[in-house]
Amino acid sequence: MKSYLRVRCSKEYLATIRDFVRDRLDEMKIEDVASHQIVLAVDECCANCMIHQHQCDGYSTLEITVYRQGDKVYTEVRDNMPAFPLDSYQPREIDQIVKDRAKGGLGINLIRKIMDEVKVEEQKGYYAYVLIKKIEPEGPSQTALAAG
Amino acid sequence: MEIRQIQQEHYVTLSPVGDLDAHSSVHLDEKIQKLVEAGKVMIHVDFSEVTYISSAGLGVFISYLDEIASQGGQLVLSQLSDNIYDVFSILGLNKLDHLIILSPEEKEVATYFVQK
Repeated sequence: MKSYLRVRCSKEYLATIRDFVRDRLDEMKIEDVASHQIVLAVDECCANCMIHQHQCDGYSTLEITVYRQGDKVYTEVRDNMPAFPLDSYQPREIDQIVKDRAKGGLGINLIRKIMDEVKVEEQKGYYAYVLIKKIEPEGPSQTALAAG
Repeated sequence: MEIRQIQQEHYVTLSPVGDLDAHSSVHLDEKIQKLVEAGKVMIHVDFSEVTYISSAGLGVFISYLDEIASQGGQLVLSQLSDNIYDVFSILGLNKLDHLIILSPEEKEVATYFVQK
């Protein structure tokens, strides 16, 4: 069964989203580094939707789903607003961002570097940002193997 | 977000507490902006009580780097957890000029602010 969280488009709920995703990943026994990165990617995606698609309008909502299929963890952020081009966005050079003294421009860059696959799908009047990360097969960790 | 500020001999230490995300990082932004506007560009940020950082938090530091450097200042970050250091390194921010990220073992922050 896929559990989901629906939250208002207000930045104060980003912590709630992170807690929800982290708890689902803990239930799936996803290791800490991958879990932290997936939580970060979902946080970035939701913050983008809230700020740029909804202008932090607290009456709008986002729906977040986390599930696992085989060796992949899927996270979906569903929004009723036209999607930002997460899957085709060309990240800016960091040096240029520093030179421009810009505060933004890093979030989508992070998502694209963290996740193995990023898609934007249209689903019955909604847009879904689908973020996919491959997970190491369960078993002794590399650290444990090295130590052994 | 709580941010403690301590004036050291040659620099200012800021110690944020909690998560640095799109909601909370505005407070850190205001603190650094005030320091930079006052010409206090020797800035140390102690991450020992920071539990999370997103791109909004990173953006605060990145957006002041050029100005701090142009004023002859320095931005030094210390006591980052592994997960937070990972976020900086994913984007290569750990290799930027004028942004010094200390390893957990390095406690002597003051040596990075020797008066030039």
